Amino acid sequence: MIKLSRYILVLVGIIVAAFAIPKLYWTIFEKVPVNPTVFYSCMIDDFIILGSEKTGPGERMDGQGNRMTLAEYEKAMPLMFFRQLMTDGNMPDSINGVPMEPMVINRANSFYRYTPRKINTPVPSLYPMLESQSGKVNLAMPDDYFRIGKRMEFIVAKTNKVDEAKSLKFTEALENKGFAFPARLIAGIPTTRKSKDEGYFVTDSNEQLYHIKMIKGEPYVAHIETPEDLGIVFIECVDLRNSEYYCYLFTRNKGIYVVMDEVYDLQRLPVEGIDPFSQEIRINGDLFNKCITVEGSNWLKATAIDDMYEIVDTHEETWKGRYERSDGKILSALVPFEVSLVSPESVFIRFYFQKSPGYLWIFSSVAALLISLFIMMRRKMELKSNLIDLAIVAITGLYGLIIIFIFPNKFR
Amino acid sequence: MKSIFYKEWIKIKWTFLAFLVLGIVGHTIMFLKVRHDILFVDAVNYWYSFLFRGYPYFSILKFLPLVAGLGIAIAQYFPETLNKRIKLTFHLPVGENEILLKMHAFGASSLTAMFVFFFVIFVSGSYIYFPAEIIKPSLLTITPWFLGGLATYFITALILLEPIWLYRGLYTITGAGFISFFYMYGTIGAYKPVIISLAVLTLLISTGVLFSGYRFRKGEM
Repeated sequence: MIKLSRYILVLVGIIVAAFAIPKLYWTIFEKVPVNPTVFYSCMIDDFIILGSEKTGPGERMDGQGNRMTLAEYEKAMPLMFFRQLMTDGNMPDSINGVPMEPMVINRANSFYRYTPRKINTPVPSLYPMLESQSGKVNLAMPDDYFRIGKRMEFIVAKTNKVDEAKSLKFTEALENKGFAFPARLIAGIPTTRKSKDEGYFVTDSNEQLYHIKMIKGEPYVAHIETPEDLGIVFIECVDLRNSEYYCYLFTRNKGIYVVMDEVYDLQRLPVEGIDPFSQEIRINGDLFNKCITVEGSNWLKATAIDDMYEIVDTHEETWKGRYERSDGKILSALVPFEVSLVSPESVFIRFYFQKSPGYLWIFSSVAALLISLFIMMRRKMELKSNLIDLAIVAITGLYGLIIIFIFPNKFR
Repeated sequence: MKSIFYKEWIKIKWTFLAFLVLGIVGHTIMFLKVRHDILFVDAVNYWYSFLFRGYPYFSILKFLPLVAGLGIAIAQYFPETLNKRIKLTFHLPVGENEILLKMHAFGASSLTAMFVFFFVIFVSGSYIYFPAEIIKPSLLTITPWFLGGLATYFITALILLEPIWLYRGLYTITGAGFISFFYMYGTIGAYKPVIISLAVLTLLISTGVLFSGYRFRKGEM
């Protein structure tokens, strides 16, 4: 029993060591990672890459690898830098035959960034349903919040009680459109700081997509036709100035769709192999193109599309990943694994176990084993009763070496 | 059996009551503040800051369980280490491990009883102002703090019974690392996937006291 209690302490100690030692190492030795950003230029009909591994941070190059000065970069991206170019008097009057009006440029510009942290996160289960046609200029927060469980319920915040009449009205409206309770995903923009209210995009328990909003106090429900087995895992509503589409639909393995404004047509973005659980996605739009960047831990793939959603050009970048750089290589040679409670891909706290890539850690584990053997022999400890300890060191390397001597194996 | 519990109760009585009162005061202040803020900014906006801005109304409670665990462990085990009094206990005609486990079980159950009491106050108070959709993630957020309180109790006992100062220091470093698992910075409900693992580790670590208890009664090793 006492020996068992020691092994428990050793186990917990190793988890702590595998958490604390790499954390300390990264804090001291971690190098600033390469993190390129890609845009598509309508002037040079090519990509522009900022901070790629080739040029270094803060530098720019075009898709062919030619370095660009700041002035060249600004000229190549007139839709992004139109205010600067207008001040300098360098803004062209028209591009591709389209006259350049600040209002028009501004309406078409959009920046969107998706990270896996948006999907791997606790989500609220109450949302405010704003009035979308109040006739007032400003949007206002309602007095209640809704949830969609066995039915759609509105809870008045002041009294913390369900508003039965309103709940019944909305539940009936949903049932009439064939909604299967409860809801799986609820997505909207729950704030008054937006240009207009478009309510919520909701998937039901049969993974069917619905649009729900409130117009003059009455429910508005629309069922949106989707291809079969779309497998929507995340919805993000956007408030685009040009009202091109309502929201992005991220699917498990069928890519990203947008739901077009008013008509509810689904348009697929022509990008393949997207995994929303581990990849970051950026969508930068302007008057002529959208540049969709999909980013993994050490690569990115940029796709430029035109306003008809046809591919214009693609570009790929790779750089050294965390464990291909010298700082990561050294750590992965020193320890066999790392334990962390946080992850760049998730908001959830859990034990993230990361095995060291490569096999160099085997040498450090053997070294740890030899050192512990040496210490045991010097202290004239009986090897037979220390076999389990040696096995622990063999598996856990440096961590085991430290921990088995913090909780010494001395019993008589 | 009864006499051991009585002896342990005498040791922790005042500390226990002090933390009980501190907890009740903490919860009272918390709910008075919720009432005040709801009155001033309206319930709709108060709910909003919880749901969409991640503002927890219960952050005042965060380290209460940790301090309570620390306090009860010190009250219960520190007197035993003065002049090595616990050795008298070990001379009783009862198994040494058994008696230590009983002492430990008593301390842990008193602490658990206190925490359960706090949970009841927390849930019943929250029900006045909030719906289940707010209370559930709140409970997921405070549960690791309370587990951390129990873990602190177990680890402090382990440290106090250790006879050698060097090892006390080493246990403190390791223990502090372990306790930090329970108090990471995270959004409301972020601990959901790890609560079970933390509970299992806490349960396992409760036996750690046997190890330092053994080292204590064998004297300098």
